[in-house]
Amino acid sequence: MARLPPLVIDNGTGYTKMGFAGNPEPSFVFPTVIATHGGSSTSGGKSTTSTAHAGSRPTGAPPVASKPGHLASKRGIDDLDFFIGDGAIANAKTYGLHYPIKHGMVENWDHMERFWAQSIFKYLRAEPEDHYVLLTEPPLNPPENRENTAEIMFESFNIQGLYIAVQAVLALAASWTSSKVHERNLTGVVIDSGDGVTHTIPVADGYVIGSSIKHIPIAGRNITEFVLNLLRDRGEQAHIPPEDQLRVAEKIKEDYTYVCQDIVKEIRKYDADPYKYFARYAGEHSVTGRKYDIDIGYERFLAPEIFFNPEIYSSDFLTPLPEVVDNVIQTSPIDVRRGLYKNIVLSGGSTMFKDFGRRLQRDIKHIVDGRIAHSEQASGNHMRSTGVDVNVITHKRQRYAVWYGGSLMASTPEFYNVAHTKQQYEEFGPSLVRRFSVFGSST
Amino acid sequence: MIQLENHNVIIQNVLTERFVKPGRVDINFVDYDNVRFHLSTPTSKTQLVLSMGIQCWSDLAKYGVNDMLESEYGEWLIRDGPEKEQEYDVSLLIDLEKIPEDEEARVSLVYHLSMLKPMILSAPFRLAYESHKQLAAAHSPDTPSSEEKQGEMMIINYREEEAFFVQSSWDRITVYISTAFKEETDRVFGRVFLQEFVDARRLSTLQSAPQVLYTTREPPLELRSVPGLKKSDDMGYVTFVLFPRHFANEDTAKASILQILTFRNYLHYHLKASKSYMHSRMRIRVHTFQQILNRAKPEVQADERRTATGRTFRSR
Repeated sequence: MARLPPLVIDNGTGYTKMGFAGNPEPSFVFPTVIATHGGSSTSGGKSTTSTAHAGSRPTGAPPVASKPGHLASKRGIDDLDFFIGDGAIANAKTYGLHYPIKHGMVENWDHMERFWAQSIFKYLRAEPEDHYVLLTEPPLNPPENRENTAEIMFESFNIQGLYIAVQAVLALAASWTSSKVHERNLTGVVIDSGDGVTHTIPVADGYVIGSSIKHIPIAGRNITEFVLNLLRDRGEQAHIPPEDQLRVAEKIKEDYTYVCQDIVKEIRKYDADPYKYFARYAGEHSVTGRKYDIDIGYERFLAPEIFFNPEIYSSDFLTPLPEVVDNVIQTSPIDVRRGLYKNIVLSGGSTMFKDFGRRLQRDIKHIVDGRIAHSEQASGNHMRSTGVDVNVITHKRQRYAVWYGGSLMASTPEFYNVAHTKQQYEEFGPSLVRRFSVFGSST
Repeated sequence: MIQLENHNVIIQNVLTERFVKPGRVDINFVDYDNVRFHLSTPTSKTQLVLSMGIQCWSDLAKYGVNDMLESEYGEWLIRDGPEKEQEYDVSLLIDLEKIPEDEEARVSLVYHLSMLKPMILSAPFRLAYESHKQLAAAHSPDTPSSEEKQGEMMIINYREEEAFFVQSSWDRITVYISTAFKEETDRVFGRVFLQEFVDARRLSTLQSAPQVLYTTREPPLELRSVPGLKKSDDMGYVTFVLFPRHFANEDTAKASILQILTFRNYLHYHLKASKSYMHSRMRIRVHTFQQILNRAKPEVQADERRTATGRTFRSR
């Protein structure tokens, strides 16, 4: 009988993407949140535990559920009284919301274990004993976290086999679907921009170059906020009901924006013929049903522009994205730089803007060419460079690139060779998962 | 979440979406009990094909699943032929151009389609209801109990090592479910859990529930004659005795079947949940022990004292 497809679960800070290997899209995407009885820990992580035991807990110990003393005295099925995902948000009034993942890493294992249990049993409807599982982890995830994950997966759920893949590597694998990619290698820079933060991660042959990773505090949420600011400045906001503002701004960001190639020209173009370029957004009040419509102007190209000219949004972070990418590559080992420039891969929802890749490629190319010209001049024009290829790869599966990469890898027969099986786990114990063979690189 | 739902959420989600806006789709997914699904649009965007493969198809085919499919899903069913998808046992063709316009009708249609798997598995139970009716009609109070007729013992091997058995007689329908645990820990938990299940039945509030019996190792007497039963410590048998009141009208009959069908998943989900609960307890215990250990650490005296402005004293 045919082997059942592996489960692919990508638990992100904001959203969890889950589905079965071989599918082009995750079957479920919902917020990584769990609602339980008891205090909420929405603000600043483990506030519930840290207030009770401030400072007494050694760093690195697994955070425990709120009010530890009470759990032991609980009887019955209180521990099953929880919701995850959208159900949790809907019940936020009577339950406390907890986000078990912070900055990509699991912080609260109690919550995470229950989150996994429910997501597998209720949503995927799979008996974990019959499946292999592919999970993802952020780069620089401590090995202890991997061990904890393996313990839960093998001992609670009795899964058949486990593979924990680095998100950036999966994003690279997802880019193989692009027609621009000719050779399937795992060297490249991944620009992963989700809701909270943007990472630029260099990967050489499937191994993350940890020392060169850079984070940019500009991502989806900031763009939405920026759109809202622009609307407010122009007075359009007065037409939108206050409770819908964020949603409308999000909608505008997703449906109307694009990246322009020259900001000055673009503004001039808009000023010359506003009727041609201004778009209109028609909305409806969600409660009263009152109709309203608003003009969408410069924000169409200004919104994604904050990646390239961050000074228009905030004064805290001023390095444009192309410069950050160039920096990341320049701090990587010299022998992989050429490969990194050649393969810059986009992943995550906030890289979906039209022409985003083109603009990025042009700007990076500009920086690189400038540097080459400069060094040629410095050497007295005796040496001529052959130039460096800069390639930014965009593809159709960008939004859930990490999940898609996982689905792709887990559907190959090779997956069963690299994944750790339950027998191996029982033989070696949790430390088994400290070692992982990268796959795809050797083929 | 204490109960598991009966319908498949993925079918429900995808169909609801596609009913509004047809589009290409090609997804593989699973359900409990080794069920594989494939939802695709092989020819055009409006022709959805939902195929399902189930391990115990040959068993179900013996017990009237085809009649059940004709009556419940006849409208969509793809009969044997080249259009029927290979490697799958059932294929339904949903033509998006022929679905009802009415919102409510659509919702109930989607729900009906997402219930495909429990519906298929319920075929033997329907057969048992029928045979119970016949037996009950033929029964007269003065028949000696030794000559009482029993219905056929229906065996459905729904998993590799596990099966359920359904048998009807004139006054009851008996369902036997065999359980096997792969894991030592699961077996221990499972045994306690099932024993607890039997005991809970004695509560005065649960008197209308079906009778539950649980045996380990030895199969119940009625099953002794069934060939190929494995005898080992990790096998257990749960017996549910359904009395006529549990299937008197259509709704309760349906509900009883669904409850029994999700029993194994329910059991396993709760084993996992109890393990999570134990793990939480263990984490807390470790945490308190660590606190005690930390208290034993000698305190390091702060050697610097600062004034309110942050200056330090220097003693000479």
